[in-house]
Amino acid sequence: MKAVLGAALALLLVTAASLALGVRPIGPSDYLDMMLAFDPTNADHVALATVRLPRVLGAIIAGGALGVAGAVLQGITRNPLADPGLLGINAGAAFALLAGGALLGDLDQTRVAMLTFPGAALAALTVFGLAGGLRGDTGPMRLTLAGAALNALLLSLVTGAVLLRRESLDMMRFWVAGSLAPAGSRPLAEMALAAAAGAILALAIAPRIEALSFGHALARGLGIRPGRTQGMALAAVALTTGAAVAVAGPIAFLGLMVPPLARRLVGHRLRMELVTAFLLGGATLLLCDTLGRLVLAPAEVRVGVMTAVIGGPVFIWIARGLRPGAQA
Amino acid sequence: MTGGMTARAALLPLLLIAAAMLGLAWGQITVGPAALWHGAVSGEGMGAAMLSTFRGPRVATALGAGAALGIAGGLFQTLFRNPLASPDILGFDSGAALAVVAATAFGLIAPMSLVAAAGGLASAALVGVASYRRGHATPPLTMILVGLGIGFMTSALATFLMTLLPSNEAGEAQRWMTGSLAARSWDHVARIWIPGALLAAALLVRIRLLGALELGSDLAAGLGVGVAAARRGFVAAGVLLAALAVAVAGPVPFVALMSAPLGARLTGARGLVGRMLAAAGAGALILTLSDTIARSALTGTELPAGVLTGLLGAPYLLWRLSREMEGGGL
Amino acid sequence: MTLRARGLALGYGGRRIIEGLDLDLGEAPMTAILGPNGCGKSTLLRALGRLMAPEAGRVTLDGEDIRRLDTKALARRMAILPQSPVAPEGISVGDLVRRGRLPWRGMLSPWRAEDQRACAEAMAAVELSELAGLPLDELSGGQRQRAWIALVLAQATPLLLLDEPTTFLDLSHQLDLLGLLRARGRERGLTVVSVLHDLNLAARFCDVLVLLGPRGLVARGEPSEVLTPAHLAAAFGLSAEVHPDPVTGAPMVIPR
Repeated sequence: MKAVLGAALALLLVTAASLALGVRPIGPSDYLDMMLAFDPTNADHVALATVRLPRVLGAIIAGGALGVAGAVLQGITRNPLADPGLLGINAGAAFALLAGGALLGDLDQTRVAMLTFPGAALAALTVFGLAGGLRGDTGPMRLTLAGAALNALLLSLVTGAVLLRRESLDMMRFWVAGSLAPAGSRPLAEMALAAAAGAILALAIAPRIEALSFGHALARGLGIRPGRTQGMALAAVALTTGAAVAVAGPIAFLGLMVPPLARRLVGHRLRMELVTAFLLGGATLLLCDTLGRLVLAPAEVRVGVMTAVIGGPVFIWIARGLRPGAQA
Repeated sequence: MTGGMTARAALLPLLLIAAAMLGLAWGQITVGPAALWHGAVSGEGMGAAMLSTFRGPRVATALGAGAALGIAGGLFQTLFRNPLASPDILGFDSGAALAVVAATAFGLIAPMSLVAAAGGLASAALVGVASYRRGHATPPLTMILVGLGIGFMTSALATFLMTLLPSNEAGEAQRWMTGSLAARSWDHVARIWIPGALLAAALLVRIRLLGALELGSDLAAGLGVGVAAARRGFVAAGVLLAALAVAVAGPVPFVALMSAPLGARLTGARGLVGRMLAAAGAGALILTLSDTIARSALTGTELPAGVLTGLLGAPYLLWRLSREMEGGGL
Repeated sequence: MTLRARGLALGYGGRRIIEGLDLDLGEAPMTAILGPNGCGKSTLLRALGRLMAPEAGRVTLDGEDIRRLDTKALARRMAILPQSPVAPEGISVGDLVRRGRLPWRGMLSPWRAEDQRACAEAMAAVELSELAGLPLDELSGGQRQRAWIALVLAQATPLLLLDEPTTFLDLSHQLDLLGLLRARGRERGLTVVSVLHDLNLAARFCDVLVLLGPRGLVARGEPSEVLTPAHLAAAFGLSAEVHPDPVTGAPMVIPR
């Protein structure tokens, strides 16, 4: 419990820091001012309400959702390298978003954003199925390579589509590296709801996912239907990942880094791990975003690049510890 | 039996000639063989322009870059005895690409081939160091995973650097990052063919060492091969070949991965030299055909070759994965 | 041809497996290294074949430290076949055996009659001449193992180190293979040092046995000196009787 409180405290601290730090120095009094007496003609108030506050909220929603998605994925695949970004689930959601945007036009932001859910679900099912997950034996190698292949396939499709329509290059740029800069124009409330639904589903089935980690045979003996549990787990992954992509674009490595950290704090108890992963995921993404805003100020490093730069070494660290097919 | 073998050995060269001809003739504007021939003989007209300026260097670059990638892929797959080991999967291509994008973004004036080579070698060294653990042999699969991780990272960095470029250059860079052969000149042809041929010749001279390493490092050491040094030499040669290709064609995905198996299937080659030649031929075939189709199939739009190799290669990788899984290799 | 270990200490990443081992090998045509799993049999063989560097001590071949010798020159004097090697997909038996000639060939030297002779002779010795053109994948397990033996025979060294060459072979093939190596020792002075796990086969075919236990060398000498109940108890923790083999007279271990 202490660890969960610690993670919550970390999230609060990072939130406070992120709200305060920026190109324009803003203190707590300004926030208080804005909330108590919002003045639409005050440039500071407008900037806070439309840019910085949504950005912080977006980071917490997307980061928390990805933390949960990563924890669920690592739970059902028993694979420490599982991450919605590396497995191509982000790419599936983003592809659906982009394709929908291109087909439907800029019909309605929220409705287009909803396309991330079927996209993420389809990608999750594909990569999981291809890597042998339905039979219950996904090695880290298979899953990672299947994810790499799915990522490459979707990237080719997107690049082709984008180059066919030159004007959508900016959309492409958004697609390739996740960013929280446009969070103010994203349907934050809807996506927060979807992420919460995914997280609650994950919490509900956490004991079953844990049982599944003993292998399908033993899980059946414990009265669990593996296929059904996997299906619900993938649904939770699709809800959380879809929400994260709709808010921040595809962000890799966050779902990889956060769950091991959470496990280190609370041990192998999936429910606690999920809660901690949500808090730490939000804190980490917000931290990455804040750093990205500050390191090259006034230029910005996208948060997707920051997570890759920080998460890449973590991935390599975990991968080198795994010795697939190792001979002494 | 021998008749069948010769017919089979002739198949790949014939396909290559056909692909090169198709590449010269077909495009947004189609130039018939007669016009090409007239251009070649007289040096005048549309045929001559296509041969000397537009499609000639492009096809020649594609052939050279494809062959270099094919050899690089075959070399790594032989060296690490794993069909998934190839410079694109191991992250060497994206390292080379990152170096090129960085050089462009920071305005460094240097030959792109050298920059790409430096980037490729640096990421190969990084993969080697990061997957090394004292007192343990590095299994190829660990190296592949680590390479994938480094590839993810370098691609993310390259994407970031691209966003620093001015908008018009960013579009070009994006195209190049996909793997593109647009607007190649005879200069590019020289840049891939001359050093590529030298490297291939060096490889041929040392091919027996590769044959020994292919039997495993213990047996190779027993046969008197200085395993560590030989391995480093072959890795460097493979990385350089891949980097040369990246410098002229961008990090075209999956050509290196697919070439050696396709070449072996097409030619039935079993010996090491035969397999390497077949990999070179298959790589040249894949890249030339991909480029021709990608730029010609849709009226009004030229797509980069990498889009097509990506669409072909990703399913191949998945298929290969399922085969390895059934074979218990993963 | 004498292969000597002096003060040899071997281990992986700080974990010592063998400590302070002195051993003289190579005076007899056939030597077997025996011992329980994990006692360092293969590790010792790898160190003798300069595949791993000792943490202390040294291995000498005719008085010269093998780590100082040129690796190619050494490969003309000593061949080593590791346990269960993996062949490239689709390689033919002939191509595989041909690779054993590597230490005898220069960088650009052509394939000489001498190389051809050595390969043909090696394949004849293991009775695979007829199958030279076949892919290795299509051979039976016993034939495949013999193809690997042919590779190291084609290397034409006076000393041959083998790591469990009889694994995966059925009994008759085990007998054939060890008989073949023994005959080669008698006829051409080939010295073989081999890790084996079948005590009775080792006693039957080898002139010298080296018995390792969990705490290093237990005994070294002729089979009848090495295979005693006391030594077996020390090496394997096994309570056994030793009787003469009714066919060959070699000592035969019968666990109680």
